[in-house]
Amino acid sequence: MSTWYFSNLVLIQATLTGLVLALSVQVPLRFGVFSFAGVGSYGIGAYAAALLVIHQQMPALAAIGLAVLITAVIGLLLGLVIARLAGLYLAMATVAFDLIIGVIATNGGTFTGSSTGLYGILSDFTMPMMFTLTLIVLGLVVLSEHGKIGRRVHAVRDDIQLAASAGINVRRYRLVAFVVSGALGGLAGSMNVMVRSTVGPLDIGFNLIVLALTMIIVGGAMSWKGAVIGAIIFTWLPSLLEFVGKWQTLLYGIIVAVAAVLLPRGIHGVFVDLTRWVQRRRRKPAAPPPAEVAPEPDLEPLMTGPATGASGASSSPQGTPSSTSLLRGKA
Amino acid sequence: MTVDQTQVGRPEESSGAAVLELRDVAVHFGGVKAVDGVTLRLEPGLIYGIIGPNGSGKTTLIGAITRLTRLTRGDLLFDGSDYTAVRPDRLVNLGVARTFQTVRLLPDLTVQQNIQLGADARTGRGAGKEAAPHGDLLSKLKGFSGLAASPPSPAVARAIERTGLEGFEAYYPTELSYGTQRRVEIARAMAMNPRLLLLDEPTAGMNQAERAEISALLRDMRSEGGLCQLLVEHDVQMMIDTCDYVFAMNTGKIIAEGEPREVVQNPLVQEAYLGRKWREHA
Repeated sequence: MSTWYFSNLVLIQATLTGLVLALSVQVPLRFGVFSFAGVGSYGIGAYAAALLVIHQQMPALAAIGLAVLITAVIGLLLGLVIARLAGLYLAMATVAFDLIIGVIATNGGTFTGSSTGLYGILSDFTMPMMFTLTLIVLGLVVLSEHGKIGRRVHAVRDDIQLAASAGINVRRYRLVAFVVSGALGGLAGSMNVMVRSTVGPLDIGFNLIVLALTMIIVGGAMSWKGAVIGAIIFTWLPSLLEFVGKWQTLLYGIIVAVAAVLLPRGIHGVFVDLTRWVQRRRRKPAAPPPAEVAPEPDLEPLMTGPATGASGASSSPQGTPSSTSLLRGKA
Repeated sequence: MTVDQTQVGRPEESSGAAVLELRDVAVHFGGVKAVDGVTLRLEPGLIYGIIGPNGSGKTTLIGAITRLTRLTRGDLLFDGSDYTAVRPDRLVNLGVARTFQTVRLLPDLTVQQNIQLGADARTGRGAGKEAAPHGDLLSKLKGFSGLAASPPSPAVARAIERTGLEGFEAYYPTELSYGTQRRVEIARAMAMNPRLLLLDEPTAGMNQAERAEISALLRDMRSEGGLCQLLVEHDVQMMIDTCDYVFAMNTGKIIAEGEPREVVQNPLVQEAYLGRKWREHA
């Protein structure tokens, strides 16, 4: 076990940071917010933690905590500016935000290390710390999927008018999604820089958006379980596909495409469908709600208007709508 | 506006306080006057109806009452207090609940969870503090993991019982008939413990037996603590069977009001539905 653990330590670390990064994109999606801002926050968190360790000699946990706070605040400010956008427009705005962070990192001179980035970030960060932080985050995300908050998040995502009529402040929930996404992205980035001891503009580029999106599309976008599945698959898959040599990227692409086409709700969605199928099979059939006898058509004359209404006679058979009852049903 | 002001039994003539009052409410979309100067008053314990042909402004009026549609002018009063500037999500705290023209259930939540969403909204009006019964740790873990349903809170259990949904708690909306889905919507609204329940075409797409069933349910709910219901429907038979008082709308205005049978026989109402030529021919 220990041999396996140490020989795969880098992959284990990448799985944990990948999971938190995937959650930074998945959580807003669960709120109905199509945002990739978590990836930009990943970059900000990585650079912020690195700079705090290098220039302030901060302990790792303090640097990570401050980085998470900074990215959460930036997430809130970003949300205040763009939360009114929706769908692709919102997605494009957040992609632009991510790319701007990369541009700032590249052009930041000695402060950000320019195109070569920052090196030699040596901290007291340990694997138990990394596991603990990831588990705490995962636990909070799991809690957010259940109970009152979980139901409300469903409503905000699926139907904002219904959510408002159920007493939910939709705008506040959308802002919370930006804040949480920022914090999660910042945590992923700062943890990654602590274990890698380096960060550069290439580490926070467009490929990171694709990776996070791929993880949750294939794993499943509507539950933390999907993010876990996606993070494991796409961290370990490249090393498992090494045997195919130069065809690795092509095979990787085919797997993603097939999963997207055949599993529109991701691998987790398949488990959900299976669970519901089993529940349906086990369930006792419920009695249908009580049906009442159809009302007497004593108002047929009223429905036919003044020409026939006065007589009170109806030629229609009982319970059958008359061809002259034009007011019945949809007009 | 041609409204017969002499009808017997008009709720306005009673001395009771109004739950909802609309004063000269208008909703204009550019040059289109979807709702144009509607004034009405609803009292507790009664079922009101709004009838009118397509495009007459019924659903827009419900949108205005629930603050989902912006008013061009007019005042909205609940229990005598102006709520024209209150946010839509705050209305549930006043005691306003609604159903929608199309069934709006959350597909990934069970029937019980959909209804619980309504009960969740009760915080702030006392009844919202009702908690779900405490189960043992194993049942809590099962409920948390999704392996088994958690026990419903008292408000949800009551709404399920009132709407005859016992046995459907663990079903998902897609597994239910249209009529049962409508019942779930009504149960969700009932779980909000409303004082004013707005029902936008609750029997649309239903057969006659299902319509009668919903009608009986609404009449049954009338006895609950002075609940006032406002029903929007095309189905005149349903309105006659269910409502105490009916408003007829056309082109954004109320063209008649009174007891359902009288309103249906009103020539203006028949003309609105059937057209002037039909009336002249008749």
